Amino acid sequence: MKRRDFIKYGVSGLATLVVGSKMPWLMANPAYAAVQTQTLNFTITDAVKEMVTHEPGNNLATCYFWIYKSNAPNFPADCPGPQIYTTVGDTINISITNDLDEDHAFFIPGMYNSGPIAPGATVTGTFRVTRAGSYLYYDNLNAPVNRVMGLHGAFIVMPANLRGTRARGGNRLTPYSLPTPNVQQLFNDFGRAAWWPGLAWEQGDAAATPPTLPFRQYVWLLHQASPVLFEEVGNFTPGADYPAAAFMDAFIGETDRPGLPPLIATNTDPRMAFPLPFGPGIAINNAFNKKPHFFTICGQSGHFSHNHPAITPMLRVGEPCLARVMNAGLWTHSMHLHGNHFFIACVNGRVQSNLLWVDTFTSKSMDIYDMVIPFMRPPDVPNTRGIGRADPGLPAGLGATWPPQQEFAMYQPATGTFKQSFLNPLVNVDIHQRQSPLVYAMHDHTEPSQTAQGGNYNCGSISGITIIGDRNTPGWKDFPRDEDFDMMLTFGNGAPVTKPGGGNDPPLV
Amino acid sequence: MALPNSGIIIPRRSIAGMEGMWAKMWDPPKESPGTPELLTPTNPVPAFMESLGLGDVKVPNTVQLALTEGITITGWNGAPLVIMAVGDQDMDASKGGTYPGTILRVPRGVIFHAETQGKTSPPHTIHWHGIEPTPMNDGVGHTSMEIGKYTYQLQPNFIGSYFYHCHRNTVQHFEMGLFGFLIIEPPDAYANPLTAGGYPRRTAASLAAFPQFPGFVAGDLASGDPHAYTVPYDYEALWVCDDMDSYWHNQIGLEARAWYPAILNRPGVDDQFWHGHFHDFNPDNWFITGVVVPNAPGVLGTIPPNVVVPPGLNGGVTGMQVSVNAQRGKTILVRALCASYNSMRVTFPVDVVIIAWDGRALGVPPLARYSHAYRVPAGTPIRYSVARRIDALIRTDTAVNAFATVEFFDTRGENVPGRERIVKTARIPFVIN
Ligand SMILES: [Cu+2]
Ligand SMILES: [Cu+2]
Repeated sequence: MKRRDFIKYGVSGLATLVVGSKMPWLMANPAYAAVQTQTLNFTITDAVKEMVTHEPGNNLATCYFWIYKSNAPNFPADCPGPQIYTTVGDTINISITNDLDEDHAFFIPGMYNSGPIAPGATVTGTFRVTRAGSYLYYDNLNAPVNRVMGLHGAFIVMPANLRGTRARGGNRLTPYSLPTPNVQQLFNDFGRAAWWPGLAWEQGDAAATPPTLPFRQYVWLLHQASPVLFEEVGNFTPGADYPAAAFMDAFIGETDRPGLPPLIATNTDPRMAFPLPFGPGIAINNAFNKKPHFFTICGQSGHFSHNHPAITPMLRVGEPCLARVMNAGLWTHSMHLHGNHFFIACVNGRVQSNLLWVDTFTSKSMDIYDMVIPFMRPPDVPNTRGIGRADPGLPAGLGATWPPQQEFAMYQPATGTFKQSFLNPLVNVDIHQRQSPLVYAMHDHTEPSQTAQGGNYNCGSISGITIIGDRNTPGWKDFPRDEDFDMMLTFGNGAPVTKPGGGNDPPLV
Repeated sequence: MALPNSGIIIPRRSIAGMEGMWAKMWDPPKESPGTPELLTPTNPVPAFMESLGLGDVKVPNTVQLALTEGITITGWNGAPLVIMAVGDQDMDASKGGTYPGTILRVPRGVIFHAETQGKTSPPHTIHWHGIEPTPMNDGVGHTSMEIGKYTYQLQPNFIGSYFYHCHRNTVQHFEMGLFGFLIIEPPDAYANPLTAGGYPRRTAASLAAFPQFPGFVAGDLASGDPHAYTVPYDYEALWVCDDMDSYWHNQIGLEARAWYPAILNRPGVDDQFWHGHFHDFNPDNWFITGVVVPNAPGVLGTIPPNVVVPPGLNGGVTGMQVSVNAQRGKTILVRALCASYNSMRVTFPVDVVIIAWDGRALGVPPLARYSHAYRVPAGTPIRYSVARRIDALIRTDTAVNAFATVEFFDTRGENVPGRERIVKTARIPFVIN
């Protein structure tokens, strides 16, 4: 499909609410589909979500969830709940209705606690946002059941002082109300120091295509979902809480020790054919076990998070960004970024004074950390500049290895490599991918989360960074983009009629 | 699946345009392309190893990696564990593949080439974890290709601790043993053949605040001084902390397509999977740098003293330790990788100074000026998760006859009140005379 054919259609992206102060830099990004509101008007309800894989009979695998649904007009339901952006000093009005049949709540640690909301009841309230940072909002009742069932979302508080740098004594804006000296120094250095050429975090570039926004930031909200267990919770005695201990036994329990619930194996599970290394035999049951089978980032897995421009930063060298990583589930993830080491700026509300510069960081249950991705040229591409180092670099005459122009011209696999289409089994699709722009993975290295019922990275807890250009190398502000990449970058998962990648066409808006 | 009372169905929304990418990501085809931007390799280590009689170098300045399978090692109870293994085909000690794979030592700034091929039918890759080259050389199938045969090209520019592993279906291939440690050394580490094969050596650090480590040089990285921001060490120990699920290794891990759609094979159409286990990892064996930790799961086990890594598996360098055996008043560097799908907690019996995480020396200007090396007192646990590395520096005038401990945590339930559990504790002899 050609660009002119789809450009007229509406766009919807990652469901985002902006509460209180306007955030034009965020509202302007079509990938977020942000809606401005003064009141968080939510309904606590349930939903069934189509997951990344299929079940026999060509049906999309599904999972039952409890969700916070925004009542803003035409606002899409999803799990997790909407990403909420606010600003320090804003007053937030809240109106939350519980449509489920047991008590639920809305809770932001240190900021707001609705207390139990009875079935059918509506709670209203007001609170003031006082401290910048990354937070989870969630249902803290019957912990951790209600939260893990899907009642959670990201709550982002931006610092208040958005005025010019002069008003801040020459300091650049950071994501924090009270940055440590090293955090302040890092944000001051972006765009100013010789080793971080390009934009400051607070600077955008309206002339870029697509425009580079100031305050570039992404949420990587990690979660795990068990369709069998979640359905069981949904079907539990109306009005009664599913026992939290039994929930955890099933979701994170051991399988190799006596006295705890065994693995529930299916009749296609070859474990049954062998003496078990872990202890007594296990009854065959024609169902999944109750452990998590789906591992999500902002509710998406595999392709759907990796190639989603509101989840995966797609920026240029010299366009540093922030990623806020939070874990609403009960498993530890060890999140590894390819292509750039990143700085750990804040861990569980503590702005760091010693900014580790790492390629992997630990996200335990309920952990929240902020990482700053410098978007520097990947430093181990052969080079003559040595990034502050004295490497002699390439002998004269070998030409530039950056940008990698020969690589840009390659397709992997080669053009003309076909696989059956997911839209129409009678059609084959060319799976060639141009080696431009530069795509890097970001994924959980605790690899059992890359499976989703078994399977490869296409199903698991994965996102990435994509380097779409280099604002520090003259003539290379944009690396070549083929049409399919350009469509994705422009429209994300919001363009309904574009020969979409791997999903059902959502209804036309 | 029961319908929700609300009637809300959340659709799986498509990604505009990327139909080919979606299909490719399921199972990238095996390819053998030429290396773009190909340069002449300058890595001196293969020739140095050849000069020691450790092997024969086929292509100058080039490492020859092969990935293979069907190798068996022995677990704590004497039972066999089937693994996959990687090795340098030019070197006698590793050509058949070892667990873990041979240590690669590379001077900073050289053009590093690894000619890499899979020996068996499923494709493979090598990802150079922590090294940041172009996507073609990053070894991730869906962002480039699975191989086949390919010459990976990189120019490592930060001294420190890394590892390499197969990124084909990493769930399976990393667990099955397709990985090894990678050490980036100062540019002149192999400049003098008389000293290149032993200790002392140097590594990156910023230690102005820790004068107990003699020989630290600050200076200026841009000046060309190969020792700028490095410190010498007299002893080196490597702890590659791993776990294995014998069921994965001996039953499901051998099946090349065990992690792929169960019945049919049309990505996105009928990709249902085998049910029930690949998300379910239950290790029953633990290893420290290839040495099995004795005793049953949950029971404390101590690895033997005086375990060393031979020079044929350590870039020609003699003396790499696993269990620590050092002299007082000398500098010891411990590199510790969590290669385990368990998380872990390392506790040293002596004070240590953490000088680097993940191949980035703390406090080295300009790019790491926002951090600093820090002291961790004896007995204080350092907790981290899979794929992370620490470089710990130690120097004491007091004799020590003790153990370092590595406690492995089930990643299901960490930080959940009442649910955190240690599944194995390993002890590493730690002797300073
Ligand atoms: Cu990776
Ligand atoms: Cu890795």
